[in-house]
Amino acid sequence: MESAESLIAHIQGLSSAPEDLAQLHNLLKQSEESLESLAPNLGPLLNQLDPSKHSLGFLYILEAYASATHGEQENNLVSTIAKFIDSCVTEQICLAPEKFVSVCRKLKDEAMQLQMPIRGVAPLRTAVRKLQPTSEHLTTLHPDFLVLCLLAKCYKAGFSVLEDDIVEVEQPRDFFLYCYYGGMICIGLKRFRKAMELLYYVITSPMSSMNAIAIESYKKYILVSLINNGQFSNLPKYTSSVFSRNQKNFCQYYNELATSYASGKISELQSCLEAYKDKFETDNNVGLVKQVVSSLYKRNIQRLTQMYLTLSLQDIANTVQLSSTKEAEMHVLQMIQDGEIFATINQKDGMVSFHEDPEQYKSCEMIEHIDSSIQRIMALSKKLTTMDEQVSSDPIYLAKLGRERQRFDLDDFDTVPQKFHM
Amino acid sequence: MEGEEDVLETSMIEEEIRANGGAANEKQRSKAIISSEQMDVEAYASSYTGRTKIARLIFIAERCGNTTMELEALRMAYDEIKKGENTLLFRDVVDKIRGRLGAAYGMDHAWVDGVDRRAEARKEKLDNELNAYRTNLIKESIRMGYNDFGEFYYAHGALGDAFKNYARTRDYCTTSKHIIQMCLNVILVSIEMGQFTHVTNYVSKTEQTPEVLDSVTVAKLRCAAGLAYLENKKYKHAARKFLETGLELENNYTEVIAPQDVATYGGLCALASFDRTELKNKVIDNVNFRKFLELVPEVREIINDFYSSRYASCLEYLENLKANLLLDIHLYDHVETLYSEIRHKALIQYTHPFLSVDLHMMASAFKTSVAGLEKELEALITENQIQARIDSHNKILYARHADQRNTTFQRALQMGNEFDRDVRAMLLRANLLKHEFNNRQSRKL
Amino acid sequence: MDFSPLNEALVSKSYDKIAEILDELMLQAATDGVPYQDEWPYSIHLLGHIIANDINSARFLWKSIPGGVKESRPEVAAVWRIGQQLWLRDYAAVHEAVRGFDWSAELRDLVVAFSELYTKRIFLLLLSAYSTISIGDTARFLGMTEEDATNYTQRQGWIVDPASGMLTVTKQPVVKEQKLDSSKLQRLTEYVFHLEH
Repeated sequence: MESAESLIAHIQGLSSAPEDLAQLHNLLKQSEESLESLAPNLGPLLNQLDPSKHSLGFLYILEAYASATHGEQENNLVSTIAKFIDSCVTEQICLAPEKFVSVCRKLKDEAMQLQMPIRGVAPLRTAVRKLQPTSEHLTTLHPDFLVLCLLAKCYKAGFSVLEDDIVEVEQPRDFFLYCYYGGMICIGLKRFRKAMELLYYVITSPMSSMNAIAIESYKKYILVSLINNGQFSNLPKYTSSVFSRNQKNFCQYYNELATSYASGKISELQSCLEAYKDKFETDNNVGLVKQVVSSLYKRNIQRLTQMYLTLSLQDIANTVQLSSTKEAEMHVLQMIQDGEIFATINQKDGMVSFHEDPEQYKSCEMIEHIDSSIQRIMALSKKLTTMDEQVSSDPIYLAKLGRERQRFDLDDFDTVPQKFHM
Repeated sequence: MEGEEDVLETSMIEEEIRANGGAANEKQRSKAIISSEQMDVEAYASSYTGRTKIARLIFIAERCGNTTMELEALRMAYDEIKKGENTLLFRDVVDKIRGRLGAAYGMDHAWVDGVDRRAEARKEKLDNELNAYRTNLIKESIRMGYNDFGEFYYAHGALGDAFKNYARTRDYCTTSKHIIQMCLNVILVSIEMGQFTHVTNYVSKTEQTPEVLDSVTVAKLRCAAGLAYLENKKYKHAARKFLETGLELENNYTEVIAPQDVATYGGLCALASFDRTELKNKVIDNVNFRKFLELVPEVREIINDFYSSRYASCLEYLENLKANLLLDIHLYDHVETLYSEIRHKALIQYTHPFLSVDLHMMASAFKTSVAGLEKELEALITENQIQARIDSHNKILYARHADQRNTTFQRALQMGNEFDRDVRAMLLRANLLKHEFNNRQSRKL
Repeated sequence: MDFSPLNEALVSKSYDKIAEILDELMLQAATDGVPYQDEWPYSIHLLGHIIANDINSARFLWKSIPGGVKESRPEVAAVWRIGQQLWLRDYAAVHEAVRGFDWSAELRDLVVAFSELYTKRIFLLLLSAYSTISIGDTARFLGMTEEDATNYTQRQGWIVDPASGMLTVTKQPVVKEQKLDSSKLQRLTEYVFHLEH
């Protein structure tokens, strides 16, 4: 066991070369217990270190100090951690990721305790980036970051990490929470397609038992599908049987909502809402449910565009159950504004003309869009093949497959489409 | 401009239709439609014999909603039952009459007791005979024994037992003729019981016998198969079977079906499910079936009107026929579906040759309002049965030609998006499984 | 706190960048534990989101503003009134909200910029969504008097029918330059070749 002073000296001396760092890491591990016992007095020691140079040592001491301290005692704790996260060297903290995570969590807890979640938003955003080997990796800090964003109403900051396409996941729990919180952020920003994607990942994940995140995700997924697609199709066949069998016990009224939506009748949808009003309130989904209602008006107007070249505002109002022609006109106008239909309103005759999508798939933008889609899909395809090869040559997996062939759902690996390879 | 073309085109079609033989029926068309009158129950019943006659009369009595007709039907049913031995049915009909036809149509205990007593004795006799045959192991006699039992039960209304005994003769059949007889018996009982899967099975069993079937049997089998398809709502198949029914049917299958039923069932199913070419080739140009149609001129007119695009007249005939069709024991349940299918077909056929259609003209052709027509067209456009859009401002329907190129692009991009999402989800699931699996593995170690 | 990036954006009239700049500055201030809320330029921040047409973010920002600030600074609430009408899609009320407050000197340019931008945006919407529209509605949509609206649209080629009080919308053909990177075309050709062979 070393004295604090000699430890500081070691840290200062062994923080540059990689071999030194390994040695330092060993020393630090051996000092863990003593650091713990000294914890409340470690604050001043931190001043002797430079977080941007002595990141690993700083991390060990900070972690010990932070776990023994509360914000009320040490007002600067949040700032200290925040500064450390900002300036620490990625290579060093990645030697002790669990310590780093622990420090970040401490920051999050303190920010929440102080009822200032916004204080943790920027540091955790940085922390996530530093902890990620690549932008495809999910870290255990992702959910913490997203929760702070939700609480601080910094939805856009949260969305910045959601734009990455996560592929590498380790802990199902982290992943589920990431998708659920991420889904909520996307819903807040009305990025419904992305929200659907995230929620869809949760409900179609392999599950050995029911969990609350999946249930809540499913509820939101149904609502968002209705808002975004105007319909809800049943779960795909690779949904875990545990989930598809049991969801009815928890989400039946959402299924009923989807059924009443499919009838296309506002009145039917309204009476379903009325019947389960309390439940939607308890689920905190009232806002989404309201959007479901207004999307049904849109859906019904969209349906009309498939059947009519021209239609009077009066007929539109009657068909989609709006109370006046003015209201019908405003609905049509908003849909034109949002690019949801192609139409022109003729106020003089009280008529609307519907047009086909003017997209001719001839513009440069479209060609670029198509090209980038193809590129993206080919890259995905390649990744899928690589993974397929990896899995099918993994000795542990093969051994297991031999032992208990039935336990793995081969569908999860099968049906790899090959057609996009070049 | 376009309006003029329409008129031109319509009149050209009229010409073509007349050339197709529409004119020949002019006289009949101007005649008042007789079938709008109330059903002549007696004339109707006279087309049938046996159990189906009684069943049909009782069915009419239950559904006609008209006391005079109800009692007339029940009276005839009563008289018909008395000719036979079915005391169960007798009691049932007496209950239904509820004394409304006077003492002559009340509960005849003496008759019932007499029939039941004789039945008891006959059953005992048949039992003894069958036992004797079985001890002697004479195949043909055993078959006869079971067959007698089948007939006995059938006459007394125990259809389940009749079915069992008829079916049991199968093991003792020694010739194809026997097998055919067995099958026809089973088919008859199954139709009465409403067990149409048996009907289908035994029809194909009969057709598989090596024996060359006589034309009457073939006609019977077509009818039975047709009924089975009708019951299963396979209207196109049903139509084909009835259309293939030979004229030899005549009055040889009155215990099941009358020749005019073949015309009605076949004609309506064909209208509801055939396209224009099929209708022409398989119905209108079908010499054999035309003879059947002569028996029910209304149905013939409906078909001719439909094919000649005289929809108003066609729909009028249909409407007039409806009340009576709803009293038909086999057809009643399908009338609404067949009618709406026929109407849809007519709407589709009407719009088909045009680039644009005047909705006012079309509405009057279909005896409906423009607003009502728009709703009907909406449904057909949604189901993609009509490729057109409604110009509600000018009340014109325009044919729509989707741009293949654009649709292809749109679909390709959509498929790309779905592929993208599915592959990502797949990668994630695979990763989750891999890690869960590794965790489990490390826990084990 | 260093507001120089904001001031630069204001001076160079890069109003669309304001929201992003302030979002980041706010996160930084919060992280440093600076008590920023009483002094924060919420009006500019809200208006920044509104100019960037990001009403969702404006709404979340409004929700995060402490109640005390909302009460003591009427201009903040006045800016949000604009956002609220946009959120509700009450086209005419947006103009009313713009006119309904005596904006401070530092905000005036921004509000005017927004108002001009919004009028242009709505004009383009009317252009694409209507074939005929009443003068009255046009005036309400554009936040002008009927006379101004008539003049404004006539300059864009719309035609007045004084009898019915209607304007006939004249669409202008949009000419877009089509310039394609030849390598993209090359690649697409390769795909097709690959698929066909």
